[in-house]
Amino acid sequence: MSDQKISVAASPAASSPAATAAKHRVDPLAIIVRFQSLIGLVLVAIGGVIFSPRRHGEILFLNPDNIANIVRAVSETGIIAIGMTFVIITAGIDLSVGAVLGLSAVVTATMMISGGFGLISTIIAVLAMGIVFGVVQGTISTRFRLEPFIVTLAGLQAARGLALIVSGNQYINISYGDGPGLAPPVFAVLGERLFDNTVPVATIVFIIFAALATLVLNTTRFGRYVYAVGGNERAARISGVPVSMVKISVYAITGFASALAGIVHAGQFNFGSANDGLGYELTAIAAVVIGGTSLFGGAGSMVGTVAGTIMLGALANILQLNNITPATQLLATAAIIVLAAVLQSLVRRREGLGR
Amino acid sequence: MSAALLSVTGAVKHFGGVQALRGVDFDLKAGEIHALLGENGAGKSTLMNLLSGVYTPDEGEIRIDGEPVTFSNPREAQAAGIATIFQELDLVPSLDVAANLFLGRELMRAGGMLDVPAMRREAKRRLEAIELAIDPARLVADLSIGQRQVVAIVKALSYASRVLIMDEPTAALTVGEVERLFDIMRKLAASGVGIVYISHRLEEVPDIADRVTVMRDGRIAGITEPHTPQAELVRLLVGRPLDELYPERAKKAGKTLLSLKDASFRLARESAGWQPPSGISLEVKEGEIVGLAGIMGAGRTELLSALYGTGLAGRWQGEVAVDGRPVKLDSISAARKAGIAFVTDDRRGSGLMLRMAVGLNLVMSVIRRISPAGLMSPRRQAEAVRQSFGQFDIRPKNPDIAVGALSGGNQQKVVLAKEILGNPRLLLLDEPTRGVDVGAKGEIYARLRALAAQGLGILVASSEMPELIGLCDRIVVLRQGRNVAEFNGGVDEHTVLAAANGREA
Repeated sequence: MSDQKISVAASPAASSPAATAAKHRVDPLAIIVRFQSLIGLVLVAIGGVIFSPRRHGEILFLNPDNIANIVRAVSETGIIAIGMTFVIITAGIDLSVGAVLGLSAVVTATMMISGGFGLISTIIAVLAMGIVFGVVQGTISTRFRLEPFIVTLAGLQAARGLALIVSGNQYINISYGDGPGLAPPVFAVLGERLFDNTVPVATIVFIIFAALATLVLNTTRFGRYVYAVGGNERAARISGVPVSMVKISVYAITGFASALAGIVHAGQFNFGSANDGLGYELTAIAAVVIGGTSLFGGAGSMVGTVAGTIMLGALANILQLNNITPATQLLATAAIIVLAAVLQSLVRRREGLGR
Repeated sequence: MSAALLSVTGAVKHFGGVQALRGVDFDLKAGEIHALLGENGAGKSTLMNLLSGVYTPDEGEIRIDGEPVTFSNPREAQAAGIATIFQELDLVPSLDVAANLFLGRELMRAGGMLDVPAMRREAKRRLEAIELAIDPARLVADLSIGQRQVVAIVKALSYASRVLIMDEPTAALTVGEVERLFDIMRKLAASGVGIVYISHRLEEVPDIADRVTVMRDGRIAGITEPHTPQAELVRLLVGRPLDELYPERAKKAGKTLLSLKDASFRLARESAGWQPPSGISLEVKEGEIVGLAGIMGAGRTELLSALYGTGLAGRWQGEVAVDGRPVKLDSISAARKAGIAFVTDDRRGSGLMLRMAVGLNLVMSVIRRISPAGLMSPRRQAEAVRQSFGQFDIRPKNPDIAVGALSGGNQQKVVLAKEILGNPRLLLLDEPTRGVDVGAKGEIYARLRALAAQGLGILVASSEMPELIGLCDRIVVLRQGRNVAEFNGGVDEHTVLAAANGREA
C-alpha cells in the first residue's frame, strides 16, 4: 500500500486537503518495511565487502567480474519475479513459472535446431506460447473460481510434461552457424557482456523488463486495476473494475516473463532441457516477498522485487566466495524470508488491519 | 446502595496523538444491567477494552470490590471475573456447541483422549441452566445468530462469572431473539452478575437497562435513568437535538428515472426459503429519495443487487426502464452504463480496499476517467480526490492514510463519495448508515438530500425504520420480494411495520 500512497501524495494538488490536516505520524517500522529489500541489499553489500576474501589487497566481492556474475546469475529469476509481482499484488500466485521457463528453453532450442525456424520467428512463437499458457491458467482460474495455487500447480506439471515430450527427455544442444539446423550466431549474445565486456546481456534484458514493468504498474490504468483487485476483489468488481480481465492478464504476464527467461536461459547455456528452471518459482516468490510485496495482495512494488532479487543473488555470491556450502545458503535464505515476513506482519498488526 | 462491584476512576488513554479517553469514571453494581451508549469514537470500545484487559489505562484506576487491580492481558481480567463478549463472536463454526464451550480447556480421559460424552453432558447442563434447549452436538454453523450469541455468553460465563461485558449483542438479532437474550440477561443479573451492555439501539434501553451512561468525545456526557426520553438521550449522545438529524424533504420530483413494471428476476444463488419475486413495480424520479422497507428476507438487498446486475441468474423479466428506455441491467457494466451506482451494506467486505489510501479508494470507480489513453493522470486523480473531500467532510482530511484506519462513519463517507464521483443518475444504497454514529448520520442524510436536489435519484434500503421515515420522500414496502404497499415519508412507523409484516395497520 505504501507505494500507491506516493502516487496521491506526489501530486501537489492532492496534498492540499492533507496540508490542512494534523500531521500524520509515520511509523518507523513501516518505513523499514517499505524499503526493506533496499536496506537488506545495502546490508548484504556491506557484509560482502567485510567478509569478502581478498587477493593482493583487492576485495574480490567488488571485482567487476564478480559483480557482473551476480547480476547475470539473478537475471532469469529476476525476470520471473517481475512477472510474479503482478500476480502476487492481485493476491494470486503462479507456481508454473519455472516449468514454463523449462518448456520455453526446450521449444526455443528445438525450433531453431530441429525445426529450422529463424531467430525472430522462434522468439515470437515462444513468447506467444508463454502468454497463451498464462491466459489458459488465468481463464481456468477465473471461469471456474479455482484457487490459482491449484491451477498453476497443475500448470507446472503440464509444462514439465510438455517439455519432456518436446525434448524427448534429452538436452537439446544449440549449435551456431548459418543454415538449417543451426542457430544464428547472434543468439549467443545472450551469454555475453556488452560495454567493454562489463554488462551481461541477460542483465540488460532483466533491467529493461523491470523498467517497463515498473512503468506499467505505477503509471497505467491496468497497474491501478492490479492493486485494486488485490486490495479487495469484490469492491473492485462493484466499482466497475474488469476483475477477470485483470486476473487473466497478470497470468499472461508471468507466462510472458517465464518464456522470456526461458529464451535467455537457452541463449546463456546453449541448450534447452526439460529440467531447466527447476525450483525457480520458489526463488522468484521469495524475491517478491523479500521485496515487500504482500502475499495478501493489494500492496507491493517492483523496485522492491528487483532489490530483493539482487540481494538474494549477492548473498549467495558472498557465501560461495567464502566456500560456504549450498546447504548453509538455503538456511540463510530461509532466515531472510522469515525476517521479511515477520516485519510485514508487525506493520499490519500496528495498523490494526489484520494479523 | 451496595458498593460498586467494578469501578473505574479517572481513566485516560492515548493512542498516538489521539486521546480516546479523557478522564472517565464508571461503575457497575452487582446484579445491575448498565447500558453504555456512545457514538463511534466516543470511547466506549476503549473503555470496554480497558475493563477486559485488552488495553491498560495511561492514567486512572480500575477497582473490583474496592480493591485496585491491573490487567495486563485479557486472561488476567477473566481471572478477576470479567467476561467479555465481542461483536465478532469467538466461536468456531465448524465445531459443535460442546467443543466450542470447552475450547482450550477440553475434558480428557486417561491417555489423552477427548472425553466427548462428558463435555456434551456438561454443556447440556450449562445451557439448560439458562433454559436454552440447544443440542450440544450441533455445529455452531447450523445455529441462528441469536443462538450463537447465547452460546458465546455461556462460554464467557464459564471463564468468568462476576461481570459480563457485551458489545452490541443485539446488532444482528431478530426481534424475538432480542427478547430471549434480554430474558437471559435479566436472569443472570438476578443471580448477581453485573452486566455492561453496549448498544447503538436507544429504543432497547428502557427495556433492559437499570442505569444508563452516555459517552461523548472520550468523556462521560451523562448518567441517567433508563426511562429518559429518547430525544434527551440523543442530545447527550450528539450534543444537539434530534430534529436536526433529518434534512427537509424535496419540494418536487423530476421526470421518471427508473421504472419497474411487473418486473421479476431470479437469483444465481437462492438461499433456503427464498421465493423468486414476481411482479415488482416501482418508480424512482429525479431528485427523489425512495426507501425500501421490509422485514429480514423481504428481498431489499436482493432487489438492489439485481438492479445493479449482480447475483442474477439469467436476466430481468418484465419492463425495466431507465429514462423511459428499456434496459437489460444483466451485468455491472450494463448497470453502470445506464448511470446506476451501488453502495453495499458491507463496506469493509465489499466496499473498500481497507489497507489502501483514502484517495486511492475514492477514485476507484472513476479510474477510466482519470487515466486517459490508459495512463493514470496524477492531476485528474488529485482533482477527483479534492472534489470528494469538498463534498464529504471526511476526517482526517488526509487522502494518504489507509482507509481502514478511519472511523465507521468516515469510511461510509468514502464509499458514498467514491460512487458520487462517477456522476450517477441513480444511486442504490443498502443500509447507508449501518454502524455509523449519529453525528455522521446527520451529515450523510444532508449530503444525500443535497445530491437529490441536483437531480440524483436515490433508492435506499434500510432496516432502520426511523431512518426511512425521516429521510425518504416515499417508502416502498417489500414482502416476499415484491412491493406490497407504498407510503409518503413521515408516515407512522406502525403503519409501515404492519404492511411489512402483512397485517392491517
